[in-house]
Amino acid sequence: MPRRRRALAFLATVIVLAAGGTAAAFATMSPSSTSAATPKRGGSITIARIEDSQSFDKTNVFQNESIWLAEQINEPLYLAANDGKTMRPWLATSYTKSKDGKTYTFKLRPGVKFSNGKAMTATDVKFSIDDARAQDKGWGYLDAAIKSIDAPNPSTVVFHLKYPWAPFLADIGLFSNGIIPANFAGQKRGEFYKHPIGTGPFMWDKRTVGQSVTFKRNPYYWQKGKPYLDSVTWTYVSDQNTRELQLRGGQIQVDEFPPFNSIDKLSNTNGITMKLFPSTRTDYLDINHAYPPLADRHVRRAIAYAIDRQAIIKSVLFGHGQPANSFMPPQVPYYDKNAGGLQYDLDKAKAELAKSKWPKGFKVTLQVGAGEQVENAMGQIMQQAFKKIGIDVTFKTVDTSTAFNNVQARKYQLAFSYWTMDIADPDELVTFSVDPAGGAQSFYTGYKNPKVISLSHQAQKETNKAKRAQLYSQIQRIAAADAFQGFLYYSPFRWAFTSKLHGFFVQPLGNYHLEDAWLE
Amino acid sequence: MSLWGYVLRRLLQAVPVVLGVTVLVFFLIHLIPGDPARTILGNQATEQRVQLLRHEWGLDRPLPVQYGKFMDRLAHGDLGSSLFYGVNAGQLVLDRLPVTLWLIAYGAILSVLIAVPLSLLAATHHDRVHDHAVRVVPLVGLGFPAFWLGIMLLLVFALNLGRAFPVGGYGEGFFGHLHSMFLPALTVALAISPILIRSLRAALLEVLESDYVTTARSKGLPERRVLMKHALRNAAISTVSVLGVNIGFLIGGTLVIEQVYAVPGVGQLMINAIFQRDFPVVQAVTLVFSLLVVLVYLLTDVAHALLDPRVRFD
Repeated sequence: MPRRRRALAFLATVIVLAAGGTAAAFATMSPSSTSAATPKRGGSITIARIEDSQSFDKTNVFQNESIWLAEQINEPLYLAANDGKTMRPWLATSYTKSKDGKTYTFKLRPGVKFSNGKAMTATDVKFSIDDARAQDKGWGYLDAAIKSIDAPNPSTVVFHLKYPWAPFLADIGLFSNGIIPANFAGQKRGEFYKHPIGTGPFMWDKRTVGQSVTFKRNPYYWQKGKPYLDSVTWTYVSDQNTRELQLRGGQIQVDEFPPFNSIDKLSNTNGITMKLFPSTRTDYLDINHAYPPLADRHVRRAIAYAIDRQAIIKSVLFGHGQPANSFMPPQVPYYDKNAGGLQYDLDKAKAELAKSKWPKGFKVTLQVGAGEQVENAMGQIMQQAFKKIGIDVTFKTVDTSTAFNNVQARKYQLAFSYWTMDIADPDELVTFSVDPAGGAQSFYTGYKNPKVISLSHQAQKETNKAKRAQLYSQIQRIAAADAFQGFLYYSPFRWAFTSKLHGFFVQPLGNYHLEDAWLE
Repeated sequence: MSLWGYVLRRLLQAVPVVLGVTVLVFFLIHLIPGDPARTILGNQATEQRVQLLRHEWGLDRPLPVQYGKFMDRLAHGDLGSSLFYGVNAGQLVLDRLPVTLWLIAYGAILSVLIAVPLSLLAATHHDRVHDHAVRVVPLVGLGFPAFWLGIMLLLVFALNLGRAFPVGGYGEGFFGHLHSMFLPALTVALAISPILIRSLRAALLEVLESDYVTTARSKGLPERRVLMKHALRNAAISTVSVLGVNIGFLIGGTLVIEQVYAVPGVGQLMINAIFQRDFPVVQAVTLVFSLLVVLVYLLTDVAHALLDPRVRFD
């Protein structure tokens, strides 16, 4: 071939290969990765959520939709890390602990200011946590171990505990212990919490009750350069279809908790990122031990064996979940993957029932919330399975508020419930679940195993991590063997958002830090 | 009796009606199972915390005592504080009332704009294709549930076809409301216009057979004038009553539409308050709804009287 033709052929080959490679690269590149890694400053986002915020008094509110917003304004001394299991310095840079474990001394981060421009000092920290622990209707009980707080100088805070308390650092990281200006910045308590002031990345802008809340960038935020977003607005859109349409239409940028049946569809929608974040959410079948058959350990074990968790995950969660083997989820410190929660086995279920006082079976009611598709579907699956071992399930359908109240008042036989963690420590869940004196009669079941209760009390005071791990492992294994409740499944937090949004991350505790979020 | 005397008498009669409704609702909402303290406290609802909250709200007092306090506050124009939000319940309702009124009024206007031309078309082409089409097609609005219709309208007009409308919301400013509320109002209109069409068509058919219409035609009046000035005005008398009754149903009946279109109206507030057992808000909404229903029926009667000079106020 003449030289000129060879050169042209070579050039053509290079061009074709380059074009093909570029096309392949674009085809495999996800929309979110087309942007540069450098965050961009500016822009606002709207997050549509399933419920409106109730209140921004972080010390007395129990609703997630209020707590997650309050955390954008108020920050604690230490904060749960992104794995949900460890704590990292936040408004404090370090701490030391006395040998007896009863005195904690925190060094405050220099240069931290509130959104009103005033510097944060130890006086503010003392005021904030003294106020939080005084709330006996609220979260004060989690600070019960604190005896007193001192502020010897503006950058040091000293906590004196009544006794060594292993969960202390996690408790200090609770949102209710977020730092506010001393004396509510000169306002009355009620007025202050209508538009709170804090050190967080965002500050209060406006609210229309029942509709929307808007926060804007805190110009004094201690992480320089952050937040990237100018403002964030949370709207209340109760209908899940409408939220999805608004996301697809560009009216909102984030859709909170799209239903399981739309996960695959949203994952394949151009311009939308569908993310499943590991969560601490665990779903249970509550078993009321006050009902005689259910007080029988063999009956409860039979029920636990008879729950086809994979079938539930497949049909109800569309495959997005995993069977629970413990009342503690994997994202919680000291979760034991070998906890031994009983898994589906109808033969073993029959064998357990045969050992019980009700070998021929019995009748039981299962409470489901009206309109709760997931509960109704789970109920159907369980009804079919339990029938095979002789347990005759009838449904009791009530509205969701009544269902919840019935469980708390223990006016049920079988019912559904769930838990998500508030702190990066198992103590809150363990106390709630297995200690009848923990405030909830052992997750409203009435479960009472003195050995487990004793272990939970030991674990609260045990500061050696290895020993603590052993204690929680024992607790989980005994609780699983007792089948005090039916452990159903672990499921992720579901969030869909525009692929132009980056840095949006939801922690296993459910909250999210928007100082890292940015828009293309 | 003059018109104003009649209106005054009806308003005075409304007072015991509205009060009776508030008594009924007060006791009913307290008697159904569910505790607002437990609902708000969630999994943190220890007995101690529940009792503290109930005491703070006065819910641990006997029901008649609670009702007495409610009436005492009402006499001073205070509807109490929302248990969920901690803000004035009456203000919550009043803030959202314009949204619901917008939806109802806009929906009613659209339903009339749909019903009148279609009814005229059907009545003037009796038993022909136009008539059959008008009698059958609007039944779509009756047959399909509002939430489904709403989602379909959003899919077609808000997400596709040039994204002509926003996906829900109330909008800002008059023209913003007009734009954002068009699809919700259309959903309302599609639900009630079939009933209006049936009523108006039947009335028009009867009126078009009457002697004075025949006389008007024989005198050479243009058909348009015969229809609009004579036939329609007389046929509308009964349809106004039908419209009024349906608007009465809409008060509180727009809940599903408000949910689907994320319209922050009173219906949405009401359903949330019921689920949360937010008693003061439920009572406030009931009071306002009762007053509105009375007003709507009163306006319907007045409109009827203005259209039909034979009506006497006795």
